[in-house]
Amino acid sequence: MSKLWKVALREYKATVRTKGFIIGLVLAPILMGGGAIGMALFKDRVDTRDRRVAVIDRSGLLAEVLVRAANDRNSQVVIDRESGEKLRPAYLIEIVEPHETARDSQLLQLSEQVRRGQLHAILEIGEGVLHPRKHRETAVIAYYGANPALDEVRQWVGRPLNEELRRLRLVGAGIDPTTIPDAFDWIYPESLGLVSADPETGEIADADRSTELQALLLPLIPVMLMFLMIMMGASPLLQAVTEEKSQRIAEVMLGSVKPFQFMMGKLVGGVGVSLTAAAVYVVGGVLFVRHLELGEYIPYGILPWFFAFMVTAVFMYGALGAALGSACNDATEAQSMALPSMLPVMIPMFVMMPMVMNPESAFAIGLSLFPLFTPILMLLRQGTPSGIPLWQPWIGLFLVALTAILFVWAGSRIFRVGILMQGTPPKLGNIVRWAVRG
Amino acid sequence: MNAVEIDCVTKTFGKAVVAVDDLSLAVPAGTVYGFIGPNGSGKTTTLRMIMNILYPDRGSIRVFGAELHGACTDRIGYMPEERGLYKKMKVRELLEFYGGLKRNGNVRGEVSRWLERLDLTDWANKKVEVLSKGMSQKVQFIATVVAGPDLVILDEPFTGLDPVNTDVIREAVLEFQSAGTTVIFSTHDMGMAEKMCDFIFMIFKGRKVLDGTLESIQSEYGSDTIRVRAENGAGKITDIEGVERINNYGRYQELRVAGDRDPHDILSTIMARTRVTSFEITKPSLHDIFVRIAGEEAREVCNV
Repeated sequence: MSKLWKVALREYKATVRTKGFIIGLVLAPILMGGGAIGMALFKDRVDTRDRRVAVIDRSGLLAEVLVRAANDRNSQVVIDRESGEKLRPAYLIEIVEPHETARDSQLLQLSEQVRRGQLHAILEIGEGVLHPRKHRETAVIAYYGANPALDEVRQWVGRPLNEELRRLRLVGAGIDPTTIPDAFDWIYPESLGLVSADPETGEIADADRSTELQALLLPLIPVMLMFLMIMMGASPLLQAVTEEKSQRIAEVMLGSVKPFQFMMGKLVGGVGVSLTAAAVYVVGGVLFVRHLELGEYIPYGILPWFFAFMVTAVFMYGALGAALGSACNDATEAQSMALPSMLPVMIPMFVMMPMVMNPESAFAIGLSLFPLFTPILMLLRQGTPSGIPLWQPWIGLFLVALTAILFVWAGSRIFRVGILMQGTPPKLGNIVRWAVRG
Repeated sequence: MNAVEIDCVTKTFGKAVVAVDDLSLAVPAGTVYGFIGPNGSGKTTTLRMIMNILYPDRGSIRVFGAELHGACTDRIGYMPEERGLYKKMKVRELLEFYGGLKRNGNVRGEVSRWLERLDLTDWANKKVEVLSKGMSQKVQFIATVVAGPDLVILDEPFTGLDPVNTDVIREAVLEFQSAGTTVIFSTHDMGMAEKMCDFIFMIFKGRKVLDGTLESIQSEYGSDTIRVRAENGAGKITDIEGVERINNYGRYQELRVAGDRDPHDILSTIMARTRVTSFEITKPSLHDIFVRIAGEEAREVCNV
């Protein structure tokens, strides 16, 4: 067994055998998916205290309707019919006569009641709501509350109020609304993929239903996994190398192995760690998703690309981390290097959303072909429902592999000098000089 | 046959620091070669260059007749001055790893033999981080020699060891020598260097200042030293004409006699002042020679 493999095996064992790795393996997906799982678990755990809303109806048309709508809703969804348990808050509408002269002080007085907790919110309906085009100034429905933007009652009141206004407008035009009950029915356009024919039978298959889940969530899952694998396989190298340098382990090692073998061994060990973790997640994930009978959503075609990008990415970022780590003298210096060394991984995470929305824009193509960003961004674009031309991931992979080789080469030169250089601060000038001169 | 040949080697760090300056040295195979010199004089840099961890700016270094460019050297065991052990590994695992890097095949038997010999068998399955300083020093020593190298380089192997462990390591080193292994070690312990080394090499400010057997080095300085024990010695033996320097060791004093004076006259002067219980006219000790060369700045580091 060559020395490189012996170093790699030690690195691999030193990481995989620790409790930290096993705990991390379990915790990482929980933390990442934790938000979603938590929300699913606590979705029904709503605040069931009744919502008392004061309504000032200046139009004189809507207050009664709202009371009726609230009562209908309360009788249907608040109490579970079988168990008798209260599931949701009841909406209690209190009609307040509008004060003709002192509008502001009336609102202040009601706001104080909200602040004291006697009321939930205030709904003020303007005089001209029935014909907004005629009475632009007074065609207003205002909702005052402690946290109005995310208020569920505010989201609820829109529909009953507008339905009544539409009904009144028809009546005003002399039409009996009961004669056309579907006058205001709304049909949503469904999102569907393109139709394709079976190449063998020529049969035209139904188009796939495209959901937001598919368009937004699916491309993100491999990317999150990639991010996690880089964090597990490559990022620890920076601190580990600094530690070996400050504890003089490097000097002993360099008595037995060449600097290149030493660094490469560590990188191969890191690749092994991320392959192990990725295998656990991919196999586990596929089995879990199939168990949920959502197997059709698994992007099997992306998996080989995922592994190819992951291996090259760990080499690339790992070489960067090891080189920087060898230039640092202690844990504090390594700590301050951690952020700059992780920037190439963090930046793509910030531009993910615009990428998913427009995976074929020039911005997206350009950025995903920049080797430091390729492993994450190319994978993200490949996961979008429309997909991308096959030449792009190939070029991307080629460039990443080239960059990885360059980084390993330059990194091992920096490493060789840096690892024995005690007390020289990790300045960019020094690092570049070591890389150039060796 | 020389194990190591250093030929006109210069190594500088940055622009200002010349760590090793035009150094030439030949270490015959099968000998114990002691490297002495004050801190920062270039010992460790020289050892690292032999190990091919650092490359000389000029000159060449041959180990067993071959220049090692970019190749690491499995025939050499190297123990750096500061301990470099993976703290989280178990002792046996670590030694098998370090040994395995140097030698293909199984080193398990060798590891067991050395652990037993250095009285560490009970610690074989403990993590390195729980070892005391002396124990980790011994583990480091085993890591250096477990692969059976032809050349052993030890940078300050005895610092921090108690007398029992010092003897254990010393015996091991001498055993290597009798088995034909070449040993190079650096030390600040002049007594140890005198006792163990076939050859002594002293480097000062990057330059070679002494190189040869202890006898040849001492004979360069002649028999100019009187070692004397007397009643109230320290108080009475002062201001003697013809004495260049007095080293007071408490129970005895060492006097360096000026070149043109006869030691007998000096001794007569002392005997006239106090009662002498024993005396010896001798060659200067290595310690004294070291201090003569390195002067004031070196005295602190060689408190023997």
